[in-house]
Amino acid sequence: MKKDNALLRLIKLRKSFPGVIALDDIDLEIDRGEVHALVGENGAGKSTLIKSVVGAYKKDSGEIFFDNQKVDFNSPAQAFQSGISAIYQENSLIPQLTVIQNIFLGAEQFTTLGIIDEKKIYQQYLEITEQMGFKLSPHEKVRDLGVAEQKLVEILKALIHKAKFIIMDEPTASLSANEIEHLFKIISELKSKHISILYITHLLGEVFRIADRITVLRDGKKIGTALTKELDQEKVITMMVGETLKDAYTSKFTGSKKPQNTVLKVENLKRKPRVNGISFEARTGEVLGIAGLRGVGKTELSRLIFGADKLESGQIFINDKPVKIQSPLDAVNYGISLVPEDRKKDALILMLELYKNITLPTLAQFTNKGVISPSKEYAAAKQAIEKLDIRTSGINQITRYLSGGNQQKVAISKWLQAEPKVLIMDEPTQGIDVKAKVEIYSIVRKLAESGVCIIFISSEVPEVIKVSDRILVLSKGKITDEFYQGVTQEEVMRTILKKSK
Amino acid sequence: MKKKLDLKLTGYWNLISKNGILFIFLLLCILLSFITPGFLSWANIFNVLRQSSIVGIMAIGTTFVIIGGGFDISVGSLLALTAAMSVGLQHHMHWSLAVLVVLIIGALFGFFNGFLAAKIHIPAIIATLGTMTIIRGLAYLYTGGYPVYVEAPDFAFIGAGYLGPIPFPIIILIIMVALWQFILVRTRFGRYTSALGGNKEAARLSGVKVDYYHILTFVVGGLMASMAGIVYASRLLSVTPLAGQGYELDAIASTVIGGTSVAGGEGSVVRTLIGVLLLTIIANVFNLMGVHVYVQYVIKGAIILSAVGFDTYSRFRQ
Repeated sequence: MKKDNALLRLIKLRKSFPGVIALDDIDLEIDRGEVHALVGENGAGKSTLIKSVVGAYKKDSGEIFFDNQKVDFNSPAQAFQSGISAIYQENSLIPQLTVIQNIFLGAEQFTTLGIIDEKKIYQQYLEITEQMGFKLSPHEKVRDLGVAEQKLVEILKALIHKAKFIIMDEPTASLSANEIEHLFKIISELKSKHISILYITHLLGEVFRIADRITVLRDGKKIGTALTKELDQEKVITMMVGETLKDAYTSKFTGSKKPQNTVLKVENLKRKPRVNGISFEARTGEVLGIAGLRGVGKTELSRLIFGADKLESGQIFINDKPVKIQSPLDAVNYGISLVPEDRKKDALILMLELYKNITLPTLAQFTNKGVISPSKEYAAAKQAIEKLDIRTSGINQITRYLSGGNQQKVAISKWLQAEPKVLIMDEPTQGIDVKAKVEIYSIVRKLAESGVCIIFISSEVPEVIKVSDRILVLSKGKITDEFYQGVTQEEVMRTILKKSK
Repeated sequence: MKKKLDLKLTGYWNLISKNGILFIFLLLCILLSFITPGFLSWANIFNVLRQSSIVGIMAIGTTFVIIGGGFDISVGSLLALTAAMSVGLQHHMHWSLAVLVVLIIGALFGFFNGFLAAKIHIPAIIATLGTMTIIRGLAYLYTGGYPVYVEAPDFAFIGAGYLGPIPFPIIILIIMVALWQFILVRTRFGRYTSALGGNKEAARLSGVKVDYYHILTFVVGGLMASMAGIVYASRLLSVTPLAGQGYELDAIASTVIGGTSVAGGEGSVVRTLIGVLLLTIIANVFNLMGVHVYVQYVIKGAIILSAVGFDTYSRFRQ
């Protein structure tokens, strides 16, 4: 192999999860001192790629060369020791420790007596902050810092640990315009120190400002890598979403009905900082898609309507009557159900049997004076399994052992017995394979045709377009646009990407 | 093919780990019946059951609390207070009324524990550490630090009477185990208890009134502790404020040895009973062998750690 300028080189990196190939033989090179952008829609494989490189996931096959050496990290900690530092959206600092303690965690200097050498550490801290042009108060606790400052602390920590390669995952997600400018300055500073950066983002505006090269992923495949100056925004969007959308996965349903009466109306819903005044109406038998990037308030909106979080202000109407929803139980009683985003954390009780999960919200239907009738309960559970074609060894299977797609079907099926008027689904196809996705789309359509109002929340634009009668675009906690069936994927994508900048 | 085999093996493993306690229990019984003649005699069986009855009744409540995701270490103190009161109150009222009052008091303290844990969000072990101390203090205040006595043959029947050849406390124990096992597996309350212990947020987002049921599990804990207190008082007819010390540990140990997960969600009242019997038999054997009581403490602690360690480590592996 030629002695080259590549700091990180991936050769045919492959990673699959049950039923889905998350990374399909990815080749990638990142040069020394390069800012390399990795873009792609949600589910394209960006985070899987990072996690496979740093050893959070075990790759199936392929080779990774770092600094001209073949590596195979067992854990992110090992990668960190070797000079690869990953800065995720959620920070990995210890909130109770001070800035300086966090930065030097694991790299403390000791006196001959084995006591931490505070003076020396402080000296080093001053040097590095001066070099980078930061101003932080070193003895402040990290939990008292803003998001932007925490990012700086993470970058400093990476530098102190002699990182050669820094991965930044959506680093500007919650930063203000000024803070973003500062971050970009820091990135060029890092670049001049010959540190390579892999910059992962949705926001194409940023990419064109700072990246030397851009790599686009789609559906676990690398679509291409090119110099930034050879590309423009249009081209990248086309690469991200694909030119032809003919396959079944993206084909649209046909034959939607005329809109019926409004079943749910929300007015000026607010809960800072993520939901900043949202109003919309949703109708019986309609699939209302809500699209937008991650972190724009989609999940928070769904939790507000469902009563999982307290409303700060605003009003919800069911069938034109104002209602007060103070708990999920209230919402259920008004005919609203929620399939939450994080099925393992918020929807399922993994250690319990399948049937217990399916009947949990509607247990009252199978009880007489508080005593459960097993025959009725089992029958209902069996029916639910058949209806949604949940693949399982039986109603007694422990829910933990089902595949992601089947778990998601359980999370949906538990509400069907409740016969909701409004079913909110938050990222219902996240982390499941394509076949299960298609099944979920058809479930959504069938439910809508039977008269349920479905609010389909997703950050994957193609599927929102596929299932929805109408689409609302959410950005920074507000609804910015409305589209109707027939809109193209590019139109929606463009709106989302432009509005977010 | 290999996957199928793995699945089969996991199946067996689940069966064993779920019922392992039963195997160990039966094994020990068989072993002892060879070593100690008369071990399987009715007299001895009744003896073991009667010795287990007080902690056994208490442990039913502990099982509910732990399945619901909580923890209650105040039940030993509560036994002392309720036992003392069930004796003391008889100087002012009929014994049956005293029993009723004491059960209500037990339930109220359980409610208080549940309120602290569910509504004030104090970690349950800390909340009940506080109430454990308070209730023990109340027991001292109520008795003035001295044993309280009563002469009451009717009341004494509860703890010392026989129904035919069977000691009455055993009958209470068996009925309670059957009743609460039924409640656990066949009622809405039981189902919601394991749901909220398994994943409180998922239960809440399924429309379950989680705080209400969380508190209710502690009420069961308090109720069963006071019932254990009544049996204790009726057996001895004299109660000191030191009564029931360490019983909470026996109750918790029996529960986890019986396979109830300390993480909540899973468990069984029947298996808790087996846990209680196992501990009683082990203690008996040690006494027969002349093992010093100090050593018994060490061994009991090791048994608890092994049972909990088995549960948490296999959970971690998952």
